[in-house]
Amino acid sequence: MPRFTLDREIHLIQDEVLLLGSLVEQALLNAVDALRRRDAEFAHQIERADEAINEKRFAIENHVLILIATQQPMAHDLRLMAAILEVITELERMGDYAKGIAKIAAGLANDEILVPIREIGFMADIAVSMLHRALGAFIAEDVTLAYSIAEEDQQVDELYNTVYYKVVQNMIANPSTIDNTNHILWVLHNIERTADRVTNICERTVFIATGDMLELDTSDDEKDV
Amino acid sequence: MKFRIRWRIVLPYVILLCAQAIIFASVLPPILRHAYQEALVNEQSPNLTTFYLVTIILVILAIVTVLLLSLYVSTQTLGPLEKLTRAAKQMGAGQFDEIDIPKPSGEIIEIKELSEALRQTVEQISAQINALTNERSKLAAVLSQMTDGVLIADSGGHVQLLNKAAERLFKTEESQALGRSVVEVMRHHAIVDLWTETREGEPKTITLEMGSDHKFLQVFGIPLSADLPGSTMLLLQDLTQIHRLETIRRDFISNVSHELRTPLASLKALTETLLDGALEDPPAARRFIVRMDTEVDNLTLLVNELLELSRIESGRTTFEFQRILPCKLLSAPCDRMALQADRVGLNLRLNCPQDLPPVFADPDRISQVVINLLHNSIKFTPAGGQIEVSAWLEGSQVVFSVKDTGVGIAEKDLTRIFERFYKADRARFGGGTGLGLSIAKHMVEAHGGKIWTESEEGSGSTFFFTIPVA
Repeated sequence: MPRFTLDREIHLIQDEVLLLGSLVEQALLNAVDALRRRDAEFAHQIERADEAINEKRFAIENHVLILIATQQPMAHDLRLMAAILEVITELERMGDYAKGIAKIAAGLANDEILVPIREIGFMADIAVSMLHRALGAFIAEDVTLAYSIAEEDQQVDELYNTVYYKVVQNMIANPSTIDNTNHILWVLHNIERTADRVTNICERTVFIATGDMLELDTSDDEKDV
Repeated sequence: MKFRIRWRIVLPYVILLCAQAIIFASVLPPILRHAYQEALVNEQSPNLTTFYLVTIILVILAIVTVLLLSLYVSTQTLGPLEKLTRAAKQMGAGQFDEIDIPKPSGEIIEIKELSEALRQTVEQISAQINALTNERSKLAAVLSQMTDGVLIADSGGHVQLLNKAAERLFKTEESQALGRSVVEVMRHHAIVDLWTETREGEPKTITLEMGSDHKFLQVFGIPLSADLPGSTMLLLQDLTQIHRLETIRRDFISNVSHELRTPLASLKALTETLLDGALEDPPAARRFIVRMDTEVDNLTLLVNELLELSRIESGRTTFEFQRILPCKLLSAPCDRMALQADRVGLNLRLNCPQDLPPVFADPDRISQVVINLLHNSIKFTPAGGQIEVSAWLEGSQVVFSVKDTGVGIAEKDLTRIFERFYKADRARFGGGTGLGLSIAKHMVEAHGGKIWTESEEGSGSTFFFTIPVA
């Protein structure tokens, strides 16, 4: 019963994607936590855990390629496989962002510098929530949900702009802290880019369902700054 | 198979046949004989019409009686059998309420026995079903009301059960989740790992923080090999609240230690200096001891406020409520602080209409609250500024306000300033315990009122609190 096997294989791959997503969500939240608690040891752990994310991403890619080669899926199923290849790449990049934040957290661990950790925490929570629901929408192929999540990116962008401004002002007021304050800007940037990549996942969701590749990210980041 | 003759059924037929035989034997021969005798007398061929007629009549009669007897026997056996069959079918369909097992009349014992046996079976099964339904209702009630989440999955990782609490945790519904994989429903790698390990046979527990809501969970993985072979159960306890309280407690202790350390360090430095030789220089020694005295005062203030806070929070403070006019509540603290305000070049004004209804309050406590608010205003308003204390009626509450033209409070601090030890601007705050507003909040709330603030950075702040009318 080839159809039955194909469906089962697809479900297994989808489960793997969800697990990868969970690893990435965890990494992001952990990285921000390490920054909050100035815990260098924890931060190093998170950096090391990125390896598992990369490995899993390649394992899924492998799985998908084998399925395409052996089962020769068509139409919707083929779009789904293409979308999955794209999504796991996005997830792996998000994992790298988390690793970057953890690195910075380790670097700032012994520094007295004031970090706008509440705002960073808010941004990270929104981004992770978006990711969590976007992956759910992706698996369920819920186009409406995908659209609405893509719009939440605006919230993150607004927060980003506000905090960026504050941090830059801080920099100007305390030039001796420029190096470390710069790192905080990178943290903000990483979270903002994470939310952007979630939007890409939403675009892929629409793609699977409709076959259309739309551009859902309406903001132009470079212009706004 | 043994062949037995059921005499109860066969006997009537035997009797009927014998009777028919007797009738045939007794009626037909005389008619035949009579016909032949007549033929002998009349020297003709015998007139057998009567004979044939009677024979046909007798045969028809015989057939009819056999038919009638068959009919009787069938209804005696088949009728009840049909009813019993119908009852059995209803049992199979589960329609236990509609079953009607007729009381068998008639003499056929086998049917009676079958009837009785079937009736008993129906009763037993009915009772069992009722018991099971009761059991199931009880379990369903427990599962849906309990605060811990329960998830059961089969060996293939498909969800078999998800109770209400688990539905809330995973933001889904059981109807959606049934048959789906544990990964799809739980969406968390650590819990899925737990499930995989538990599936192998050993129960296991983990604690973790889940999701962007930062829910703190303790998850128990329990193999159900005895009751549901192949299935595993996950019990999810939401410890978020407890964890939060733990964190607050830990932070509080750390804060208190920190606050105590500063004055103690000063004291230590001063005593060391005195012992190192400052004692020999009386004017210097005196200066140091005065400073030590101040630090001891600070420490005492801190400890007193801590005790006060602790008493209030554990409900051990006594309040002496009385009906009192709002303006009387305000006049004492305002008088007390007016001098201080004047000294730093601030204008303190009391704006209280005399016609306000009395409120139910403890004047000493409210005085404390007002003094605390005034103290803050004085601290944070530069010279030349204004402080206005007002009161007015709103519905069933009297609203009090302390408004200043000071530095204001940043938006992000607005909700946090009532927390213990929270100091919005550490640099400016200087002395002070950071507990004043926390105590004020408890006091006001103990009166059944609310306290809040409105502020704009750079223009000033207004603190409001309400007390219900007496």
